[in-house]
Amino acid sequence: MTAAIEVRDVTRVFRQGTGVFSADRHIRAVDGVSFAVEPGSCLGIVGESGCGKSTLARLILGLLPVSSGEILVDGKRLADMDGKARARLIQPVFQDPFSSLNPRRRIRDIVALPLQAQGITGAERTRLVDEMLVRVGLPGGIADRLPAQLSGGQRQRVAIARALVLRPRIVVCDEPTSALDVSVQAQILNLLAELQRELGLTTVFISHNLAVVEHISDRVAVMYLGRMVEQAATDDLFARPAHPYTKALLASVLTPEPGLGVPDVGLGDLYPDPANIPTGCRFHPRCPVAEARCAVATPVPKVIATGVAECLLT
Amino acid sequence: MPEALLDVAGLRVRFGRDVEAVRGVSLAVERGQTHCVVGESGCGKSVSALAVMGLLARGATRTATHMRFDGQDITDLSERALQALRGDRMAMIFQEPMTSLNPAYTVGSQMAEVLSRHRGTPKRLGLERAAELLAKVGITAPGLRLGQYPHQLSGGLRQRVMIAMALMCDPELLIADEPTTALDVTVQAQILRLLQGLQRELGLAILLITHDLGVVARIAHKVSVMYAGEVLESASAADLFASPRHPYTQGLLACVPVPGRIRRGDPLGSIPGTVPRIAPGFTGCGFRDRCAFARPDCAGAIAQRDDGLGHRHLCQLAA
Repeated sequence: MTAAIEVRDVTRVFRQGTGVFSADRHIRAVDGVSFAVEPGSCLGIVGESGCGKSTLARLILGLLPVSSGEILVDGKRLADMDGKARARLIQPVFQDPFSSLNPRRRIRDIVALPLQAQGITGAERTRLVDEMLVRVGLPGGIADRLPAQLSGGQRQRVAIARALVLRPRIVVCDEPTSALDVSVQAQILNLLAELQRELGLTTVFISHNLAVVEHISDRVAVMYLGRMVEQAATDDLFARPAHPYTKALLASVLTPEPGLGVPDVGLGDLYPDPANIPTGCRFHPRCPVAEARCAVATPVPKVIATGVAECLLT
Repeated sequence: MPEALLDVAGLRVRFGRDVEAVRGVSLAVERGQTHCVVGESGCGKSVSALAVMGLLARGATRTATHMRFDGQDITDLSERALQALRGDRMAMIFQEPMTSLNPAYTVGSQMAEVLSRHRGTPKRLGLERAAELLAKVGITAPGLRLGQYPHQLSGGLRQRVMIAMALMCDPELLIADEPTTALDVTVQAQILRLLQGLQRELGLAILLITHDLGVVARIAHKVSVMYAGEVLESASAADLFASPRHPYTQGLLACVPVPGRIRRGDPLGSIPGTVPRIAPGFTGCGFRDRCAFARPDCAGAIAQRDDGLGHRHLCQLAA
């Protein structure tokens, strides 16, 4: 079976000019990442801010070109596709429903835009839009309003309707619930899970919230400073994390269980700088179990019982 | 029982004629304890904190039955007297440290200013105190950080600087509004541990505003759940999580995904609808439009229920 998404050794480098007289800094936001997503499944990607997860989302969506490596969507090279073909296949849902919807367009027009771009017009377009607005659980009569008249949860439903109106096979969600209140977050997660099942969607779900990712994903990939340091089936990753960074991330999840106190994550204060990646294992300055060799030898992805991990000590 | 350090009763805040953001909030923070106010956006939790500090925007009207800080009623205190109190005996930290630190001054000079304002301490001594506190909040190389500007620091470091700055005058009360919301989970855990450590060491009373029930469960002694400007339920953290009584609290707890608790594929609990905007003169339960158990009498006056052991909730239905 062809993977819905296959990412092969993809790197993306940003050049950051720091001033007129100083040299540019090169930031390897995504650095040699490979993975595949099975059709109809959901891959969760987790990591701290600056780990490259949003850059990865943009690369998969074709919104940013890769610096090297290649991305196959449905067996075809993403780089060879034109914008229209890509839009029919893969669509985004972004974090902030306040800035991702045009404030001057009516909801109907916002959701219709992808159809318009594909040349679908008239009654057919209206029908598809209305159908999709109902499908994402928006009340009737909302179609003629402006985004400012909607609540955060409703706006995120509009963003989902816009993403799905072309019936794409793949949806990339970048922090889709992070700006929402918990009760609304639960509504949106339930909707996404339902749509995913019903439409057989393949989903990439990016979040810093591990509990949310655990709830919605079949597999989870953990990113650290541009590298994918561990991948495994969700249950395995949460039950038997292999990489010290994954362990630290899981330990820092504050579940609503009183009496457990705040965990000691043991990562120290050294925050990583993506422009200045440490030698050897890039996690070693913060790793609670690092050995001398971790500062020298560079780990490579290793197949382990649960999946793939990139650590010299596993 | 010793008197609480902060004791607020019947706090109300109005914005103009159309919005009543806080409707009769009462809460108390004991010395050396953490009281968490939890709720969704728009429930009035941040406005309540700002009202206590006297930091409301112009155009807001605040009334209260009483608002006592260390026995003294601060409701009608003059702006000058409040200024003397703020940053000295009561300090506040905010969610986004980048917007509350001054980008044009170094960390050291804005920290030293706190002491020179309140105590007239010379800058040199202020800087010494700042360095000492930066070290206390776990910042390595404090000397270097003193000379840096806020934009040169990472989010976690900035939040530590904010905390250190709040501690400059040895406050007795720390009001923290979503102090870890903008931070990564790993850094969040570090900051919360830091706050707990400081509390133990200095006997700080902390009023922590958050939307995150995970944070509440791990750090609170007492919890107040706010909704539409009211405290719907308050109890000790252990009690609240073990036996939530208000339908809203129950619904909120069911919304939070807990790893290993809910099977994938099973829907999360969710509360339909959204938080209403409440105008002055509103009567009845603010949650009734979203409540699965609402009855006609929920539109009337709502009785406060109290189990006599400090667990209170506002609900018409039998517990």
